[in-house]
Amino acid sequence: MKEFEDKWEDRINALLDGELSASDAELLKAEASSDQALARAIVEAYQLQQAMNSIKVERAPDSLRKRLRAIPREHRPQTSFRWLQPRWAMALAAIPLVIIAVSLMQPDKPSAVEVAKARQELAIAFAYLDKAAAITSREIESTVGQTMADAVTDSVDRAIKTQSSDAKEKKA
Amino acid sequence: MKRLLMNKFVIGLLCALFTLPVLAQEDELKDLPGYVDFGDLSVTYGEPKITINLGGTMLNFVGQMSSEESPETSRLISKLKGIRVQIYNTADNMTAATEQFGKTKKHLKSSGWEPIVQVNEDDEQVLVYTKMADGNMQGMTVMVVDGEEAVFVNVIGQLNPTELAQVMDKFDVHVDLDMD
Repeated sequence: MKEFEDKWEDRINALLDGELSASDAELLKAEASSDQALARAIVEAYQLQQAMNSIKVERAPDSLRKRLRAIPREHRPQTSFRWLQPRWAMALAAIPLVIIAVSLMQPDKPSAVEVAKARQELAIAFAYLDKAAAITSREIESTVGQTMADAVTDSVDRAIKTQSSDAKEKKA
Repeated sequence: MKRLLMNKFVIGLLCALFTLPVLAQEDELKDLPGYVDFGDLSVTYGEPKITINLGGTMLNFVGQMSSEESPETSRLISKLKGIRVQIYNTADNMTAATEQFGKTKKHLKSSGWEPIVQVNEDDEQVLVYTKMADGNMQGMTVMVVDGEEAVFVNVIGQLNPTELAQVMDKFDVHVDLDMD
């Protein structure tokens, strides 16, 4: 019975503090309409809150406050109804949205048609690169002759390798 | 009050999660050191005859597709981070393309790119530049401008021309080029 009342207490407190969502408040109201004990508990809690609000608060002496703070709080088991509190409900509701958002961050796998199109485009790009090398070779050939052209046909590759070696030597 | 703060937090979190990947995709190539801006010649020549923009993600998928039939092609592609091509019909009007050619060349020289090949003739200009860092290629730029076409190719990542020549026959694509 005590545990049952504890479960109520959290929800009733949340209701009175305005922290219960509209749907949870409706649920509690429905339960109270068929449960006299719960209805009474809600009314009593409301009356208690009103009474507390009407009391003029006076500050306790520092010595008393110090002693009160020194008293260890009674451990109270967490009830499963805590998950129905608004902040947890919001967090739970946000989880699927976050999962969707995170999944959007992952690269979408393109369709086979899209990959085939990309492959075609890559082939075109490579063809132009290859052709540019051929033009270069042709120009060199017409200028300095076949021997030099043959030597320069691979010039891009060689130049890159030379640059690479130079850079590594400089680094060393 | 707590609920309001939680709502704001969740909305802010979701906005950030949805916006970040979009921005990241847009800047996928632009942020890479081998990227080169070729400007926009569409005002003069109309829309490019060919526009290709392949990022690293798509190249990975193409590489995976090629891995079984041609491991060497897959290996070549795996070193690429992006490839961009813009080709315009110049129709004997080389002025704007030549101007862009010069602008890009100036930018490349001032940005640490190294010339590999340059052909300067009245009716044709060819340029190949590469960018190296710590002995590794970061990018290659090829520009060809003649009376028929203006070709701008930007390879981001590493590309070995010898390997390229070796894998060209693996592509069952016949491209009718006007660069002869």
